[in-house]
Amino acid sequence: MSSAKKLEETIREKLRFTASPGLRERLRVSVLRAQTCTSRAPRNLEAPAVRIRIARGPRARLASAAAVIGVAVLCAVIWSRWSPPAYAIEQTVEALENVRFMHLTWHDDSSRVREERWIEIGMDGRQVCYRQYRPPDLLVIEDGRSTAVCRHDKTTVVIYDRKDRQYQWIGDLGQALENLRQKGRIIGPREERDGRYVCRVLWPYVGGECDIDTRTKLPIAMGGAEISYEPPPAGTFDLVVPVGYAIVDKRPGRITGPEPPWVQDEAEADRRFDQATHALAHGDCAEAASLFESVVAYQPDRNWAWFWLGAAYYKLGRHELAIERFNTLAEMYGGHPYAYCNYARALAYAQLGIQEQAQADSQVCLPWMVFALREPSATTMFDYAEDPLLRYSGRWPSERDAVSHMIDRLRMLTGQSFGYDPDGMDREKADAIAAWEHWLESDGRIHFTPDAAPTGLRAVTDPENR
Amino acid sequence: MLDDELLKWQFRRGSPDALARIYEKYLDSMLTLAMGLLNNPAEAEDVVHDVFVGFARLANGFVLHGSLAGYLATSVVNRVRDRIRKDRRRTAWLNSPSAASAEPTEPGQVVIHDEEAGRLNDAMADLPYDQREVIVLRLKSDMRFAEIAKIQGVPISTVQARYRYGLNKLRAGLNGEVDR
Repeated sequence: MSSAKKLEETIREKLRFTASPGLRERLRVSVLRAQTCTSRAPRNLEAPAVRIRIARGPRARLASAAAVIGVAVLCAVIWSRWSPPAYAIEQTVEALENVRFMHLTWHDDSSRVREERWIEIGMDGRQVCYRQYRPPDLLVIEDGRSTAVCRHDKTTVVIYDRKDRQYQWIGDLGQALENLRQKGRIIGPREERDGRYVCRVLWPYVGGECDIDTRTKLPIAMGGAEISYEPPPAGTFDLVVPVGYAIVDKRPGRITGPEPPWVQDEAEADRRFDQATHALAHGDCAEAASLFESVVAYQPDRNWAWFWLGAAYYKLGRHELAIERFNTLAEMYGGHPYAYCNYARALAYAQLGIQEQAQADSQVCLPWMVFALREPSATTMFDYAEDPLLRYSGRWPSERDAVSHMIDRLRMLTGQSFGYDPDGMDREKADAIAAWEHWLESDGRIHFTPDAAPTGLRAVTDPENR
Repeated sequence: MLDDELLKWQFRRGSPDALARIYEKYLDSMLTLAMGLLNNPAEAEDVVHDVFVGFARLANGFVLHGSLAGYLATSVVNRVRDRIRKDRRRTAWLNSPSAASAEPTEPGQVVIHDEEAGRLNDAMADLPYDQREVIVLRLKSDMRFAEIAKIQGVPISTVQARYRYGLNKLRAGLNGEVDR
């Protein structure tokens, strides 16, 4: 026997590790407990009885055997063709690493395209080129160097240097993928949809769920968007200025004529947006509301302006107005806003005593909030929603604080408390989180008391303490 | 194989007995696989724990058309990779010949093995991770090169080369011990 073969045999036979009795028992208990926690009542465990009629004559037997083989072959072919392949999140990460183009479309209730985006991803996992079309007026094109915003309603194209203005769907795809790899979780059973098998996956980085095609391993739906990966038509990332359109070139060193008033208005809206976020973060809610109102008047598509406007009204005790603004935001997401918006709106409904609506919003946001107790990266959008200055300061809460804040939100909304102490022992914290999970599974009804939350959304007044 | 199919079927229907049998049947082989990849009993125990607990939680929606052993082995490999990625420093440790065998198994250990298995595994730990993964999957999980290529996301020829280079290095590392 050659030495290579001998080595193979040695590894096969000798490389063996065995669990000690203690480890074996310890693992067994964990494993069976995990099954008990998740399983439903066992069904009939007996193997299904099969009635077999055996043909007696030799010809009949031969024919029966041939028929059985034929059926088996047919089943095998159908099985291999139609059965959904096994799926693991890792495969989606690997599949996305090889993606060069993404095509995202959002549709309205009557199946018309509400928005369409094309993205080219470079070798470094970052966005290279980008095209966004929101009918009927807005077209944005980034070619890697410049960002052109074409406003059909103003018959104008404004060109910016890319570093001054960028449109991004996912900023750093690499970071997003690492998040998916480490934190993503399969949350739904595989199911068939439109002839494809899909698996629902929770992806904390993008703040929501996505549906993965188990054959291609790629996301095909996320946050109301349908996603495909075909190369774009030629010229997708080229800006062709329509005849008769004015050009405002704001890139450094370019000299153009006077800016049209609406361009100045947009710049003013940007400035007010910044002022408003600072006012809100420092507790001047009346000033923030006034400024955000003027921002959305100019820029009705600015989603965060709508949200923080609602938050400002909430803190001012004007809950009906807050709900109206949150509703506007929800409409922008096709009626399916992100969980932080459901949470804020649930609080506003609860303050008004509209329990049914508060409960409806809670049912959307609570699973996400409870999930975040074990996965703090899922709190990101909630943290940002409560502190608009995080984008400037970059001082995101530590995991400990993120979980602690989420517990506060849960207590505020639901009226429940399970004794979570951020300074407590790990085991006690785990027990408290398990109690939240159990409560969500077994009850999930909120018992909001306005007195317990006079201001509702957590106010951030001291940047040093954020 | 048919036994596995029946176990899968019963497991899908929530049978604790089926899960216990799967666990007993595959615990040691998964532990061997994890040890072969990590050469660290504590880490291997964690990985195997996570794989079986994760598997147990799948019960109700569990659909598997491949082999149970293959599925569990792939899960172990994925968990090991997750750990490696989670802590980049760990990659250096795993691929560092000087540190790879620096954590000997201790008396009173939770993972039992004979002296030869320990020596083999220490020698394996000196291999680059990709080569080690191929060798362990091929020889301890009886996977075909095509299956390993799918897991590693590389062509079959690369997997075969990794296997060949890995075995050669291993033979050199064992100083002909196996040939005696």
